[in-house]
Formats: sequence, C-alpha cells, structure tokens
Amino acid sequence: MRASAAVEKAGVPTVSLVCDGFIRQGAAIASGLGIAALPIARIPGHVDSQSASDLERNIVDYTLGEVLTHLTQPTANAQAEQQAKSDGTLIEGTFAEVNDYFMRHDWSDGLPIVPPTREGVDAFLAFSDDLPERVIGTLAPSGCEATVHNVAVNGVMANCRPEYMPVLIAIAEVLADPNYGVEHSGDTTGGDALIVLSGPAVQRLGFNCEEGALRDGYQANSSVGRFLRLYLRNVARSLPGAADKCTFGHTWRVVLAEHADAARSLKWPTLGEDHGFLPTQSAVTIARFTSGGTIGSIFGDDPQTIADYLADGLVRHTSWELIFTVGFAPGTYCPMLIVSPMVARTLARAGWDKARLRQELFARARLPASKFEKYIGLWTNFVPGRKTLTEIANSGRAADVFAHGDDPHRVVPIVAKPEDFMIVVSGDPNRSNAYALASNGMHGYPTSRLVRDG
Amino acid sequence: MSEHRYRALWPGGASAVTLVQPAARPRSLAGKRVGFLWDQMFRGDEIFPLLERELAKQFPEIEFVSEAEFGPTFGGDEHAVIEALPMKLSALKVDAVISGIGA
Repeated sequence: MRASAAVEKAGVPTVSLVCDGFIRQGAAIASGLGIAALPIARIPGHVDSQSASDLERNIVDYTLGEVLTHLTQPTANAQAEQQAKSDGTLIEGTFAEVNDYFMRHDWSDGLPIVPPTREGVDAFLAFSDDLPERVIGTLAPSGCEATVHNVAVNGVMANCRPEYMPVLIAIAEVLADPNYGVEHSGDTTGGDALIVLSGPAVQRLGFNCEEGALRDGYQANSSVGRFLRLYLRNVARSLPGAADKCTFGHTWRVVLAEHADAARSLKWPTLGEDHGFLPTQSAVTIARFTSGGTIGSIFGDDPQTIADYLADGLVRHTSWELIFTVGFAPGTYCPMLIVSPMVARTLARAGWDKARLRQELFARARLPASKFEKYIGLWTNFVPGRKTLTEIANSGRAADVFAHGDDPHRVVPIVAKPEDFMIVVSGDPNRSNAYALASNGMHGYPTSRLVRDG
Repeated sequence: MSEHRYRALWPGGASAVTLVQPAARPRSLAGKRVGFLWDQMFRGDEIFPLLERELAKQFPEIEFVSEAEFGPTFGGDEHAVIEALPMKLSALKVDAVISGIGA
C-alpha cells in the first residue's frame, strides 16, 4: 500500500491486489499514507493455500473485474476519525464511565486505564524539559504526530509514574525512527516489541532486573511495557483487526532491565554501551521478537559446552525468521540472548567477553543449508522460485558466508555476522539459565535512544 | 456521596498528513501502459502473468512494464524503491499501476 500511495501521489492511478482478510487493513492505512482512499482489488481467500488452478480461477473470474473497475472509475473518499474537543478533553465522567468510553472507542487495551486528567498529565510533563507540543515524529500507519503531550497522556493511562517520563519519551523517539520500522508493527506473524532499559535509570526508577525479569509484577517494568502498546494503539493507530493484522501475537512485553552491576563486575558492556552510550547514560533499545524460550539449567563451567547449549537454544527458536538473514531484508535478523548473571560470570571467569561469546555463537549457531532453504523457500515461499542460498548470495541478497559451496548438508549461520547477536545480562543472579529470542528483522529493527533524565 | 468525575484527555495525535485525492482515472485501458509493482511476496510471479494475459485479450493495444523495472516494493530496499517510483513511472510513461500482493 505504501508503494500505491506514492504512485497515486505521482498522479498515476493504481489498484492494489489484496487477499481476503486484509481489505480492512488496506483501508485503515490509506489515510495515514496521505491518500483519501486507495483502490483495492480483492483476491478471494488467501493465495498461500490455493492450488494453481484455484488461484487462476479467482484472479480471472473475480480480481480481474475489480482491477478494471478501479483503474477506470473514481474512488470513494475516506472518513475522518474521531478527534478531541478543542480543549483536548475526550470525555468527562466517573472512573467507570471514562473506562467504558475509552474501550468502546478503541482507545484502551481492554484493561482499566488511569483516566488521563490534565493534572495527571502535567505531573508527567514536569519530568521533561521538552515543550509539551514538541513533535517527536510521525508514526505509521496513522500518519499522526507523536508529541511529548500525548506521550504523557498514554503514560498516565498505562499506570506509569511521572518520573518515568524521560524513558517514555525515548520510547516514542525510537518508534518515530525510520530505522525501527514502526509501520510493520501489524505484520501477520505478530512479533512483539521488547524494550530493553540500560544504565542508571534501572535502579533509580525501580525497574526489576533480577528474579522474574520478563514477568509482570513490578510497576516500572509492567507499566512502561504497557505504555508502548497503548501508544502504538492510540497514536500509531495499530488496532487489532484493522492496521494490526497479527495472526496470534502476545500480550505486551514488560521492560527487560539490564543488570548493570553484574555486567560491570564482569567488565561486560551493557546493551546500551554496545549501542554507543556511556556507562553513566541510560538508554532504551527496542526490537521486535517473534518467539522465545528458556535455555534451562546450564550445567558446568566449560565455556565451550555452555556456548554449544546457548547456540542450540538460539537455533531452536529460529525458523522462518531466517528470511531476515538472507532474502528480502538481508542482515536484519538480530536475535537476543539474555544470560543470567551466573552464566555470564561463568563465561567471564573463563576469559570470555561479549565479543568472544558472539564469535563463538556465530561459529556454533548453525543449521544445514537444506533446512535453511526450506524455511525461506519450500515451506514459506518467502523467496519465490526455490533459490538456493548460493544463488541468493550470488544475487547480492545474502552475506558471503552463505555462498561457500553447494553442499546442502553444509552448515550455515543463522545470522549474517557475529555482531547481529544481542546479548543482555539480566534475571535471577543465582540461577544458571538463559533465554533466546527470535528477531523480527526489519519489522522492528533494534533501535536505541538516550534517556534524557538529567 | 457523589462519585469523583474525571475530565479525560484525548490520547491520540493530530494527523500530520495532507490527504490528496486518488489520481484521475482513464476511461479505458485501451492503448495504455500498465506497470506492475511487486513486494516479492504471495505469488505475484504467478498472478501478474494471468492479469497480463487477460488484459491483453480485452485491450490488444495495451502495453506492460515489468515489476523488475522498479525493484521490490517491500524489504530492505523498499524506501529507496518507493522514493524512485515517480521518476521511473514518468520515464517509462506508465499510465496505470497494478501493485501487490497484500496478504
């Protein structure tokens, strides 16, 4: 649809071919792309599950007619969305009435919200040197402005505390960064964003970075995680069933706070430092992840054995996402490995730093080329034509490491380069567990921002 | 005792886009040049030839411009590809575009 909008703006009529189930998404994002309406020709059903003859019949008997109609006849205009009253008030009422109104009008996630009153919002704004009207950026798919003011409003709603405001602003800044790819937040495979907080803000604001690091139960981690989903809903207008077409998805993720003390004691840089920030600075990094799981009860003190197990966990949680390693967005697959302080300590005692661990994972987190090719070809059709990894590499859509021979049994890495592994130290300091998260590639590419908290 | 009442503020953002109307349509595709844009997904390589075949039956003078002329509209290069579209459409004298596949 983004391409169609650019074409219409250039004065050339378009018709977009869209499968059943995505018509509402197409209509929902048109206005955010600056076009009053984008003509859509429906393809009955979904092409992925149709035989060649069924597909031909659907295209010829149905879609063709809509193509002709939309390329030769005017298109209806879009409708404007609900706006606030001139003083910014949406509704006045009791707690229950406000909540009912917000839920009925798609301004809430289904849980009770804290009514965002002027007083509550002002308390948040007091924790920022920014003017409330500062435009942080424009968010797709709505094409609406992210401002310091609406960050505060959604922060109140999410049950954040006012002092979290610098973190919330940094989150909005990431979403507005084209590098992140917020427009993909409603993709069908439904990865969810994870905020990683690094630096002094973890302790100062009371984020949990030990037991239950990814579990709700701590106001800072939970409410800031919820803020992100509310902000996507209310400002980006990524609404389930409309612009948000995830097939399954997850509940929003709580903030993962880095255990800076543990990392520092091992002389391991935090993720924030990996991304260019100073140890004295706080930073948020946001990336979207599709799945993940625990690498449990890591035994022993041999770093080689531990690396084998960690790499195995990373491979086990990686499948179709390999299309972000090679193919249409090569080199954007950035899985995350969260290691407990105990595991990190064991590796550090053996002389391994994070760079060494990445190198060892790159060497070990591999799978047979034939299976890799199935994930991106036979099983998904992400790469049409059943091209081999060698052919893809030769066309410039994969790193050279994938072009080493044609043996289908050779093993190839799951990432393009060692630096694509993100490593974070967090969790129970007294358990030897780790957690692997599969990356959603360009659909939420890891992007960091400084938390400007004085 | 009356329940506390809240004046709740709007959580949304003002639209930053200026809406433009869709481009004017030709009365017919007869003699027109139709370009294809593909996101490299969801069987466009099978669907576009079908449309080309059927449209050519109805409009013998119609011409087509392959999606390969424009590049993939989805993926790592999408921003550059989309940015270049107006210039390429003009250079290739394209009158209408069929774009896909949304799924």
